[in-house]
Amino acid sequence: MTWAQTIVDALKEHEISLIAYVPDSSIHQVTKIVDKDEYFHLVSATREEEALGIAAGAYATGRNAAVFMQSSGFGNSINAVAGLAIPSRIPIPIFINLRGEHGEFNIAQVTMGRSTRPILDVLGIPHYTLDSEERLGEKVKGALKLCYASREPLALCMTPLLHGGKNV
Amino acid sequence: MFRYSATKRIISNLEREPVVSNLGPTSDELWHASDRDRNFYTYGSMGLCSSIALGMALSCDEKVISLDGDGSILMNLGTIATIGREAPANLIVIVWDNEQWAQTGHQKSHTAFGTDLEMVARSSGIEKSFTVADEEELDSILLQALNEDGPWFIVAKIEDEPYLPVAPVEPEHTLHRFRQTFVDHPDRVG
Repeated sequence: MTWAQTIVDALKEHEISLIAYVPDSSIHQVTKIVDKDEYFHLVSATREEEALGIAAGAYATGRNAAVFMQSSGFGNSINAVAGLAIPSRIPIPIFINLRGEHGEFNIAQVTMGRSTRPILDVLGIPHYTLDSEERLGEKVKGALKLCYASREPLALCMTPLLHGGKNV
Repeated sequence: MFRYSATKRIISNLEREPVVSNLGPTSDELWHASDRDRNFYTYGSMGLCSSIALGMALSCDEKVISLDGDGSILMNLGTIATIGREAPANLIVIVWDNEQWAQTGHQKSHTAFGTDLEMVARSSGIEKSFTVADEEELDSILLQALNEDGPWFIVAKIEDEPYLPVAPVEPEHTLHRFRQTFVDHPDRVG
């Protein structure tokens, strides 16, 4: 099973049926599976903070929702996490493709990629780094369970060592 | 048109429909009009009111009403395009448009200089987009919107009025109370 399918299966196990995202070439490996599966409603947002708002609304009406974005987009969405998900205690799993890691070719991606996990720490958001397929299902399912138990946003940071990265 | 009076009128037309309100006076006035368990007051994350309502509309069968503001939706015009793309039949966006950021010192907003939010919505594929200037018009379009498929996008032009006292609400309680009306069982603890 591919890493992307393992993540999709974990989403289903936690009844996460709405995915809001901003396209990314590595995340595409997940969203192309989600898009073909009628279990999911895949919502293409114009900006990452919008994706968080949509996910928050879904949860408020009883539907579990996750968001997928690139680390640059996490930079765009910090206030949606700090001003909506955290004070309202809305559990939103945030899957972040960490740019600025092994093999990065674009200098403009380096700073936000490198800053993402420290920012998550300052926000008090638990985060786990997914950098290999080893025990991946266990890691993702366990993190999702924690997210809903704590009723807090939680981040899963995916690196090129997991998904192969972007080369051009 | 004055927002508080119009808000009271909107609420009088509703039964159990969920309402999401923009941060600040819009939420305060909704609370003073009627503190319903189906009200989702927002407190921060300016710009996301209608995005939250979109997420709700995609996740429930009921009509969902967003009470947004011009300054707020100008922060997130992209969400109008997403609403047009998703086209949820059960979403009604009402934008209170006073053409200013009133709370921060009455600085004029872009709608005072020609930005036409109805046209933004229309060009994003939301055909049922309207601009209304008085309560009677708003009332009549809202009644239609509650009974016919949307999405609906209603720009309601409003005038300045004094603020009401800040509503004694709390985000975690708002979310929990609202969500409990949608889920069959209370959140499990332990």
